[in-house]
Amino acid sequence: MAYVALSDAEKTFILHGVEEDFRCDGRSRRDYRPMELETGLVSNASGSARLRLANTDILVGVKTEIEVPDPLTPEFGKLEFFVDCSANATPEFEGRGGSDLAQELVLSLQNAYESPLAFDYRTLCLIPGQQCWKLYIDILILECGGNLHDAVSLAAKAALFNTKLPRVTATLLDAGITDLIISDNPYDCTRIGIDTVPLLVTVCKIGDFCLVDPSAEEEVCSTVSMVVSVSMRNGEAFLSGTHLTGGGAMHRDTMRNCLQLGLSIGEHLDTLLAKMLRQEQERVGPKRPKTVGFLK
Amino acid sequence: MQTLREFTRKTKRGNILKIVREHYLRDDIGCGSDLCQQCFQNEVYQLTSQHEIQCSLFKFPHYIVLDTNVVLDQIDVLEEDVLHNVIVLTTVLNEVKHKSSSIYKRFNELVHDRTRNFYVFVNEHHKDTYADREPDETANDRNDRAIRVATKWYDDHLQASQSSKEFEHSGRAATRVILLTDDAGNRAKAEAEGILVASASEYVKSLDDFPLLVDKLSRNTFENEKKGLPQYPAHLSMKELLEGLRNKKLLQGAFQASRENYLEGSVNVEDYEKEILIQGRESLNRAVDGDLVAVELLPENEWSAPSEIVLEEKNVYADDVPSEERAADEKDMLKQVQTAAASAERTPTGRIVGIVRRKWRQYCGILQPSLVEDTNRHIFVPADRKIPRIRIETRQAAMLQNQRIIVTIDTWPRNSRYPHGHFVRSLGPLGNMATENEVILLEHDVPHCKFSEEVLSFLPKLPWIITEEDYAKRVDLRDLYICSVDPPGCTDIDDALHCRELPNGNLEVGVHIADVSHFIRPGNALDKEASARGTTVYLVGKRIDMVPELLSSNLCSLVGGVERFAFSCVWEVDQEANILAKRFHKSVIKSKKAMTYEEAQVIIDDPMQQNEIAKSLRHLNRLAKILKKRRMDNGALVLASPEIRFQVDSETHEPLEVEAKQMRETNSMVEEFMLLANITVADHIASEFSECAVLRRHPRPPPTKFDPLVKAARYQGYQVDIESGLELSHSLDKCVKEDNPYFNTMIRILTTRCMMQAVYFISGSLQKEEFFHYGLAAPIYTHFTSPIRRYSDIMVHRLLAASIGADSTYAELLDRKANEEICHNLNYRHKMAQYAGRASVALNTHLFFRGKEEDEEGYVLFVRKNALQVLIPKYGLEGTLYLKSDKDGKSGLERTKSEVVFTFNEEDYTQRCGNVVFHSFDPVTVRLSLDSSNVQHEKLVFRLVKPYIKGFSVELNTEDAADAAPPSKKTKKDKKKK
Repeated sequence: MAYVALSDAEKTFILHGVEEDFRCDGRSRRDYRPMELETGLVSNASGSARLRLANTDILVGVKTEIEVPDPLTPEFGKLEFFVDCSANATPEFEGRGGSDLAQELVLSLQNAYESPLAFDYRTLCLIPGQQCWKLYIDILILECGGNLHDAVSLAAKAALFNTKLPRVTATLLDAGITDLIISDNPYDCTRIGIDTVPLLVTVCKIGDFCLVDPSAEEEVCSTVSMVVSVSMRNGEAFLSGTHLTGGGAMHRDTMRNCLQLGLSIGEHLDTLLAKMLRQEQERVGPKRPKTVGFLK
Repeated sequence: MQTLREFTRKTKRGNILKIVREHYLRDDIGCGSDLCQQCFQNEVYQLTSQHEIQCSLFKFPHYIVLDTNVVLDQIDVLEEDVLHNVIVLTTVLNEVKHKSSSIYKRFNELVHDRTRNFYVFVNEHHKDTYADREPDETANDRNDRAIRVATKWYDDHLQASQSSKEFEHSGRAATRVILLTDDAGNRAKAEAEGILVASASEYVKSLDDFPLLVDKLSRNTFENEKKGLPQYPAHLSMKELLEGLRNKKLLQGAFQASRENYLEGSVNVEDYEKEILIQGRESLNRAVDGDLVAVELLPENEWSAPSEIVLEEKNVYADDVPSEERAADEKDMLKQVQTAAASAERTPTGRIVGIVRRKWRQYCGILQPSLVEDTNRHIFVPADRKIPRIRIETRQAAMLQNQRIIVTIDTWPRNSRYPHGHFVRSLGPLGNMATENEVILLEHDVPHCKFSEEVLSFLPKLPWIITEEDYAKRVDLRDLYICSVDPPGCTDIDDALHCRELPNGNLEVGVHIADVSHFIRPGNALDKEASARGTTVYLVGKRIDMVPELLSSNLCSLVGGVERFAFSCVWEVDQEANILAKRFHKSVIKSKKAMTYEEAQVIIDDPMQQNEIAKSLRHLNRLAKILKKRRMDNGALVLASPEIRFQVDSETHEPLEVEAKQMRETNSMVEEFMLLANITVADHIASEFSECAVLRRHPRPPPTKFDPLVKAARYQGYQVDIESGLELSHSLDKCVKEDNPYFNTMIRILTTRCMMQAVYFISGSLQKEEFFHYGLAAPIYTHFTSPIRRYSDIMVHRLLAASIGADSTYAELLDRKANEEICHNLNYRHKMAQYAGRASVALNTHLFFRGKEEDEEGYVLFVRKNALQVLIPKYGLEGTLYLKSDKDGKSGLERTKSEVVFTFNEEDYTQRCGNVVFHSFDPVTVRLSLDSSNVQHEKLVFRLVKPYIKGFSVELNTEDAADAAPPSKKTKKDKKKK
C-alpha cells in the first residue's frame, strides 16, 4: 500500500474532521471525490475504460480469447483479472513491490464476481462444453490516491460495458464438432450485460465513524476497513462479498453499520455509473470515439 | 493525421483476435494532373491534356476512374493502347491484388508504362478521400464508396482548378472525371451522388475511333442466351464445397481432360492410388483441363472404365441450341463408353460437383468458319485438344478467319454448352512458320521473349580476351589434340574430347565441357533468366536459347581453332577401359577441329589418316565400344523412339524432306564418354555435397505400367520379363521376327512408352537407393556435359568447381530448399521443351504433306476399339486410322448404314472385317494425305491401302489418289457406292 507519512497532529486533524462530518477536502462522510471516466480509449483492446478518482488513476483493458469451458461448468465462460501496479504510481511498486497489493485487489474482485448471480457467465458461452469466451481484464494502476478497490471495480465495470465481442456463428461439422465463423464486419458485435456486475465499496473506519472513499491520508488514519461488494438485481442491492483490510478488528454493530452504508452507497454509485455510461454511448454512437484522455 | 483500421481475424488455432493497424492520412498527395495548380506534385504529370479521346458518350476531355470489376474483367481492353489518362485508386489496386494475382501483375505493368498515363492515386491515405468503414457496411460496399468518394473529390478538385479566369479565357472545355463500373448498385449510387458514370461496355462502344476494341470486352452475358435451358447441373457454392471437402464427402484434385475423348477426363486426388474417372458431359460439368475441382464419388455399382474409343467433337455452330439429335448422339456415345466398361476393369468413377479454382489461361487456336454470314458470334477451336471450344463475339471474323488467335475464357454459365470468352490478340496468318512456332511456344509455356537489357548487361564486354591471370588460374591444355564431334550445323558446341597415349602404356582421356559458369555468375539477372528458362528449346529450324547468343554460339561454344575456357574431366584408363585415376580442373583449350559425326566417322574408317586426331579418335572409339558393352551387361536399356530430321528450306522455313535420324558409331562414341563424365561427376559431387548435390534419377516404372507391352508381346508369342532392367533388356533382345525386321524396334518403342520421366532432384531429399537411373542402369547420374543448353549442368558445374576449389561458394549453392525449387522448375521446363519439340515435328510433318499424297509402309502399333494406331517408320510418324467411319458422319443412323463392319475382339485385341484380321505389329500400307477440307484445321489423314477391304480401303491406282479435290474419306466412299 502506498504509504503517506503523516504527523500525529495531522492525524488528529483528520480524525476530528471525520467526527465533525467535515473532512479535510470539505466532503461529508458519505461523499465521493469527483470522478472522470472515459471508455473505449484503447483501440487494441476489445473494451477499455480509464477512471480517475481525484488522484487515483486506473486503466482497464479487456482482451478476449476462445477457450474450452471447464468440465464442471460447461455452460459458463471464463473471466480472469490481472492487476499491474505500475511503478509510475509510486516508487514503492518498483520491482515486485506492488505484487501484494495487486494480489489483494485480484482476490477481492474474484470474490465479488464469483457468484453467477453477480456476473452471468452464461453470456460468455458459445457452444456449451466446447467453446466459450474468456475475458482477460487487465487493470493498470497508474496513480495511487486512495480508495483503489472502488476505483478498480468501477473502471472494470465500465470496461466490461464497453467490451465488444465479435459476432460468431457456428457451423456443424462431422461427429458433432463445430467450427466458428466470425462476421467480417467489425461493427457486428455483441455486448455484455453489466446490470448485475458488482461494485466494490470500501467503508473505512476512522475513530468511531465510518466513511466512504477515503483519500490516501485518511487511509493512513484508519485502523480497519471493510470492502463491500454490491451487486444490483431487479433494482435491489445485494451483497456479493466482503472482506476486511487493515490490522484492526470490528465490533458487530459497526460491521452492520458498515454493510448498510456500503449497500446504500453501492446502489447509488451503480445507478450513477449506469446513467453515465448510457449517456456516453448515446453521445458516441457505434463508431469509435475520439479519445480525449492522455492516450489521445 | 492518423486513424485506425480494425478487423477481427481467426487464427489457425481457432482463436479470434482483434487486430488494429494504424493508418496515416496525408495532405501532400498530389492529384497528378497538369491542370492542377494547388497540389504538391513531386513527379512528372501522369494525367495530361495530350491524349484526348473521341467518345460519343462524354464529349469533353475526361479522366477515367476504374472500378475493380472493370479491371478484373476487362484487362484485355485496358492492355490495348487506347485508354489514357486513367486514375488508378489504391483501393482498386488492392482489391485486384487480392482477387487475382495474375491480373494484378498485368495491370501493374500497365501502370508502370509511362506512355499510358495511368496515375496511381493513393486515395486510401489522402485525408479527403479516406473512407472509414461505416457500421452495417460490407467490405465491398466500403470499397465502392471509397471509389465514389475519390471520383467525386477528383471531379470537384479539377473543377476548382479550372474555374480560374485564365482558364475560362482559354476557351477549352473543362476536363471532368468519369467512373467506369459494371456494378449496377455502385453505378446507381454514383449517379445519385452526381458522378459521371458509365459501364465499361457502354464506354468502349462509344469510342468512335476504336470500333474493334469491342471484341476484347469480356463476355459475361451473351444476349438472347439467357432464356436457354440449363444444360449442366449447378455447381455447389464455395461454402458447401469447403464443408464437403472438410468432412471428406467430396474429393479435391486437378482435372485432366482426355486428349482422345472429349467426354472423358480424370481427376488426380491426393491419397488416392488411382485417378478418378469422369465420364459424360454432365459429370464433367464445365471443368476445363487444369482446374482444381471437387469430385463426388459415384456408388461402386456405377463405376466405369476408361473407354478405348477415340472421340472427337463434331462440327458445332455458334448459335447452337441443344438439338435433340445431338443429345441422342451423345447418349449413344456414352452408352458405347459404358458398355465398354462393363467387361473391363472398373475404376473409381465420379462426377464433378464444383470448381475450387479455375486455372483458365489464354488459349491459342483458330476461329471456326461460321455457317451464318454476318454474325458476330463465333466458335473458337483451341489448338490443344483438351480444351473445349470457346464461344466468342467478334466483328473481325473475316479478317481472323485465316489467323492463329489467342482467346481467353470469361465464364461458363449453366445454360451454355461452351464457355464464353473473348478475343485477345492475333498471332499471325495460319500456316506461317513464325506464327505456328509462336503457337507452339505459347502452348507449352516456353519463355521466348528477347533477353532484357538488364540480362544482356551481365554479358562480358567484347572484344573478349583471355588475360594472363586467367592462364595462371587454369590448366593450359592448348597443346592437346582436342576435337569436338557434333551434328551438322551445330553452333552451340559444349563438349570436346581428347585421348592420348601415356608413356606408361595407359591412355589419358579428357572430356572438356564449355565453362559456362565462368560467364554466368550466380544471382545476377542473367543467371536468374537462365534458371527460369531452364533449357534451350529446339524446334524444327529454330532454337530458343537459354542464354544469350553471344555466350551460346560464341564465347562458350568450343569452336575449332579458338582458345576457350573449359571444365575438364580427365581420366587415366588402361587399354581395357578400366579407370585408374580421375581429376577435374578448369582449363584453357584450343579445339583442333570441330567435326560432324559423319566427318569423324570418315576419319576413323580411313586407314590413310594417321595424324594425331585420327589416332585419338580411334582410341576413343575403341574404348567407347568397351564401355558400351559393359553398360549393356549391367542392364542398361536400348530404347528406341522414332526420331526424324527435316531438311528445312532456308528461306521459307518450310520442310523440304523428311528422314529418320541416322545413328553412326561416332554418335555412340560421344554419348558413351558423356555418360562416363556425367556419372563420374555425379559420384564426385554426391560424395562432396551429400545434402545438396543436383542429380538426375530415372525411377523404375511400376509393373502395371508395363502391362501394354507385356500383353502386346504375348499376342505375338514372346515373353517380356520385367523383373529387372537386365532381364528386360535381355528379353527385348530376343524379340526378333524374321519376317518383320521392324518388330524389334516397335517393341522398343513400346518399352520407351512404359518408362517414367527422368527427373532432377537434390541428393538430400531422397534415400541413396532412390538415386538409381533405371534406363542407364547407373546407381547415380547427373547432367554435366551441356551447360550451354541446360541449367542443371550449370548448377552441377558450380558444385564441382566449389568442391575442387576452383570457384567460390555462395549461400544459395548449398540451400537445399531453393535448389529443390529450381529442380522442380527444370523438370517442368524440360518436359515442356520436349513436348514443344514434338509438336514442332508434328507441325512440320503436316506442312510436308501439304499437297502431297503418299502410300507408305506402316505397322499397327495398337488396336483400339474403333481405330488402329499406325506407325510409319520412314517418318517416325504415328496416326490414327479410324475404322468406324464416324469422323464426318452426320448422325448415328447414317453410320450404321456403311456396310463395312469391323468387330473388335477384346480377348486378343484384334479387329476383324470379313477374313482380314488386324493384330498389333501387323504391317499395313496406308495412304497419307492432308485433309485440307477445313483450311483452318488441317489434319493428316490415314487411309488403308493394304490389306484391301472392299468399301473401306482406297484403291491402289494412283490416278484416284491424284484426285486433287479435298480428299475427305466420306466423299470417296460415296463415290464408290454410286
